[in-house]
Amino acid sequence: MFDVKDLHVTVGGAEIIKGLTLSVPAGETHAIMGPNGSGKSTLAYSLSGRDGYEVTQGSATLAGVDLLSLEPEARAATGLFLSFQYPVEIPGLSAIAFLKAALNAQRKARGQEPMPAPALLKLLRTKAEALKIDQEMLKRPLNVGFSGGEKKRFEALQLAVLEPKFAILDETDSGLDIDALKIVAASVNAARAPDRGLLVITHYQRLLDYIKPDRVHILAKGRIVTSGGPELALELERDGYDKYLRAA
Amino acid sequence: MSDALSTIVREAAPWSPQGEAAEALTRLGLPTRRNEAWKYSDLRAALADGALLDGVALADGHVRALEPDAARFDDQRNIIGLLAVAMNANIEDTWAVGSATRGAGGTVSEVETRGKAVIIERLNAEGRVGAHMLKARVREGAELTRVVLQNGDGVALSAAEVAVEAGGVFRQFVVAEGAKLARIETHVIVEGERGEVTLNGAYLAGAGRHADITSTIEHKAPGGVTRQLTKGVARKGGRGVFQGKIVVERAAQKTDARQHHQGLLLEDGAEIFAKPELMIHADDVQCAHGNTAGGLDERALFYMRSRGIPEAEARALLIEAFLTETIPAELPEALREEVTGLIRSWLAGARS
Repeated sequence: MFDVKDLHVTVGGAEIIKGLTLSVPAGETHAIMGPNGSGKSTLAYSLSGRDGYEVTQGSATLAGVDLLSLEPEARAATGLFLSFQYPVEIPGLSAIAFLKAALNAQRKARGQEPMPAPALLKLLRTKAEALKIDQEMLKRPLNVGFSGGEKKRFEALQLAVLEPKFAILDETDSGLDIDALKIVAASVNAARAPDRGLLVITHYQRLLDYIKPDRVHILAKGRIVTSGGPELALELERDGYDKYLRAA
Repeated sequence: MSDALSTIVREAAPWSPQGEAAEALTRLGLPTRRNEAWKYSDLRAALADGALLDGVALADGHVRALEPDAARFDDQRNIIGLLAVAMNANIEDTWAVGSATRGAGGTVSEVETRGKAVIIERLNAEGRVGAHMLKARVREGAELTRVVLQNGDGVALSAAEVAVEAGGVFRQFVVAEGAKLARIETHVIVEGERGEVTLNGAYLAGAGRHADITSTIEHKAPGGVTRQLTKGVARKGGRGVFQGKIVVERAAQKTDARQHHQGLLLEDGAEIFAKPELMIHADDVQCAHGNTAGGLDERALFYMRSRGIPEAEARALLIEAFLTETIPAELPEALREEVTGLIRSWLAGARS
């Protein structure tokens, strides 16, 4: 479903991702773990098409569609979703208005009619309730004055509403206390489906107690140095990243 | 002389308020950019084209006596008021509620509020020159909401002098799309204790347009509150101006005044000039001001695009969100919708 081959990415002239290859089949959840500076966020941003993240070599496809030739909005319409490590504040634009614009833009790109307002509101309410998001917060400007945990819950809400084919979750656990982490993880687990893939990027093993990955990949110095089952994360928690950094 | 001013002066009847104003204008001359209050808006250059007055009736004005305020004829600060009078101003009867169109030519209006009132002025010089003056008084405990919507071509000038008595509330919201030159000036004096002022505005300066929102707020009594939020956008070849002065006099202890201006330069070659000023002569006050100008937040833009919103739409949504923050919460729903509609259609035009 999601295939990255020999990906090289430079930021500001420096090569950060140096030949990364990764394949996530439909229905699976994979985790990428790596120390600070290993290229985790660079990978997430380059796959979503952020300016300044230049792919110099390699390919990335989602369900056979070449992502790298598409604008960020077209990647989203194809079914790619990135949950941001640091969600951006949008003053003056309510969460409702934001999600309405996003959902209907994606529907339009796929040749579908806009979702009628009552159906949209009902959808938002149901999904927000599952994430214990207060209805009033949907009317507030998106992420403005939200706590770290609230921002991550809104990322999870967007994932639940937009229903992408493939989602990359960048450090979803950062800024969350244990209760919020459980809520967000439950929402992510609810999003697991036979036709959907997930890629969880994290520094710590903690998140993987709640979102059980099928495969774990270790990223060091811009490459995947080891892949294995869920036990790899536990091993990493015990032994640290040192041996992989030395090997890389 | 072939400029608009010489025509105005020539047509004004002698021994009338128009004649007096015309005489003062001749003596003072039109301001240039050397005049501090007009540093960013060159009125003399804008009025150099005498044809701007074609079709504007200047004769046979009906003018009741202006208030015997000699100072107003001696100061370029009142240049818009002088122009309004000289250009055949009618002093209208008090109009407490409602909406008025301010086109080419001059008008002087007065309004006095004892209860709650909303007034709407639609300013459009229709390719010519319009100069309009409003004198308003907000009586004790009363509430006046004024909305000014400016669009169209030509030279559009508006000046308001507003006095706020004890416990009175004056709320203003301006949307200026600019013109060859458009200037909306507001001068508020908080005369009584606990007077409240909200002075918000948005300018949208497209190519070849000049939009100027200028104000002074003087706190002369204790316990007053001012909230001022002005935001604006300028495209290539457009110019936005914000000048805002807040004066807190020695007697105005416990004044709480906040002023903020944010400009958004949409393209290279757009211009925004801002001059925020805070003059505090009292010692027990809370005052703050801020001023920024820059481009759209690229991180927000990418965030929206990553959710599937096309770039042009994301830009428009961000700009709309930026500007609509200036709409006071208390504005009646119908007006809020009209203003949002104006901003949207401007953005739709700006996109093409």
